[in-house]
Amino acid sequence: MGNKIGRRRQVVDEKYTRPQGLYQHRDIDHRKLRKLILDSKLAPCYPGDDDCGFDLEECPICFLYYPSLNRSRCCMKGICTECFLQMKPPHSTQPTQCPFCKTSNYAVEYRGVRTKEEKGIAQVEEQKVIEAQIRMRQQELQDAEERMQRRRDLSSSSRIINAGELEYLDTANSLVSSCRYLTQGNEIVSSEDSFTVPASRPSHLRQNRDDRFDLELDDVMVMEAIWLSIQEGRVPRHPGFGSTELTYPIEASPSGGIACTYAALAERDLSSTTQNIVPVFNRTLQQQSGTLTSREEHAVNNYPSERWIEVSPDNGRAVHGEEGYGSEVAQVSTSYASSDVTVDPLGPSLSLVEGGNMGAGHLLPESFEEQMMLAMAVSLASKKQSAGCNMDVVEVF
Amino acid sequence: MTSSSAPSRKALSKIACNRLQKELVEWQVNPPAGFKHKVSDNLQRWVIEVNGAQGTLYANETYQLQVDFPEHYPMEAPQVIFLNPAPLHPHIYSNGHICLDILYDSWSPAMTVSSVCISILSMLSSSTAKQRPADNDRYVKNCRNGRSPKETRWWFHDDKV
Repeated sequence: MGNKIGRRRQVVDEKYTRPQGLYQHRDIDHRKLRKLILDSKLAPCYPGDDDCGFDLEECPICFLYYPSLNRSRCCMKGICTECFLQMKPPHSTQPTQCPFCKTSNYAVEYRGVRTKEEKGIAQVEEQKVIEAQIRMRQQELQDAEERMQRRRDLSSSSRIINAGELEYLDTANSLVSSCRYLTQGNEIVSSEDSFTVPASRPSHLRQNRDDRFDLELDDVMVMEAIWLSIQEGRVPRHPGFGSTELTYPIEASPSGGIACTYAALAERDLSSTTQNIVPVFNRTLQQQSGTLTSREEHAVNNYPSERWIEVSPDNGRAVHGEEGYGSEVAQVSTSYASSDVTVDPLGPSLSLVEGGNMGAGHLLPESFEEQMMLAMAVSLASKKQSAGCNMDVVEVF
Repeated sequence: MTSSSAPSRKALSKIACNRLQKELVEWQVNPPAGFKHKVSDNLQRWVIEVNGAQGTLYANETYQLQVDFPEHYPMEAPQVIFLNPAPLHPHIYSNGHICLDILYDSWSPAMTVSSVCISILSMLSSSTAKQRPADNDRYVKNCRNGRSPKETRWWFHDDKV
């Protein structure tokens, strides 16, 4: 279908079907080259321009500008036809590697002059690279300033050595951040950059992030385990309960249960104000032969006729209030859902503990399990407060 | 010493000349951190000052790289060596020759002086011991007639440093 369009012969001036003398080409089959160019399989051999004119692309090998370039199949990097013809070492029997990404069996295709869209993308990418470079520069300047500051602050020589170590870390970090940035930008690295970034650096970054993540995750997992043990201990006869419960915290979201705890506590908060709803935990605990909803998603199952709070595996942390719920409750629940686990630590769950707006008898945890729930909620809330942006790291993953 | 001897001194091709001029302009606008190109009118031989990165074994030390460009640069790799004294490093011989794959087998015309420099600094920075390669004396003796490192058949075995 589309092939014919790409394969149509292009109108190319005869003189651009042969090399312009950029290199002294060895053993080139001129007839074959001419055919490939006329068949639009290779870019015409236009003479390269020294300056970046309007709508021209720079060949990353000869640094000259052309109306259009060939693209490597592996990494889509551009290359002019004459440079491409140089890529195969004269006496080599091995398959040629892509000069940009080192993939073997280097091959190019020609798609004509870049479309507006492609040019736009390229421009955006270039912009990103420039921005990353500027950020790196700024980081360097900042680091240098801090270094100076530290030198001024510290007088003992041993401390200066320490400062030096910090400086190194700073530089490494700035390198890393730019590196991550480039990776996110989908292979936008210019030919220079692609070789300058040491391969070991990204893993260093990854390590860092993992560490931080693990710290967070550990806490979450511990709470999750407590939550699960309570669930398991109390509701052992729920059909299929155990399996879904056991898998979702890891697969869907490490914080799903916590979100439920929050939501449950929030609900409790509200329910206590309305005074006629039994706290959700009690209901869960009371329920022995519950009707599990057919969708295998939930954390706390309530009376079937009433509403329940659910955690769906696909959105992981979403907590819904069912219909018939007081609108207030629904609102609270959805606010939890939308903000993931980043619940305002001073929200209902805390006020539940600290605020004195409810009857104490109703509020105070009656069982060990409930005390644990509260402790979890409170510790998570305070953790959130102290951890600040650390939660973001989790979300990156 | 090999450091002063040039590789086959054939003039740069037109394309090599053109590319190097552009690389130099780009370097002046955006030099790689830690490097300084020593101004000269010789486009075919660059002498570049390298500052060891802070927090590494080479912090506060300065070395000089000499980069000689062959006629068919960038299709051929430049010859890159350290001028005397060369940093003490498990992959740098006392005659300044550097055992680094991108300078030889793994060279790609998509690389630039700037990217090579950063690779070398990275190699320096990741060193954990200031020492010469185990076969330093033997190798240097073999190179006494001023052989270019590009004629050496390198064996790249250590991907850690």
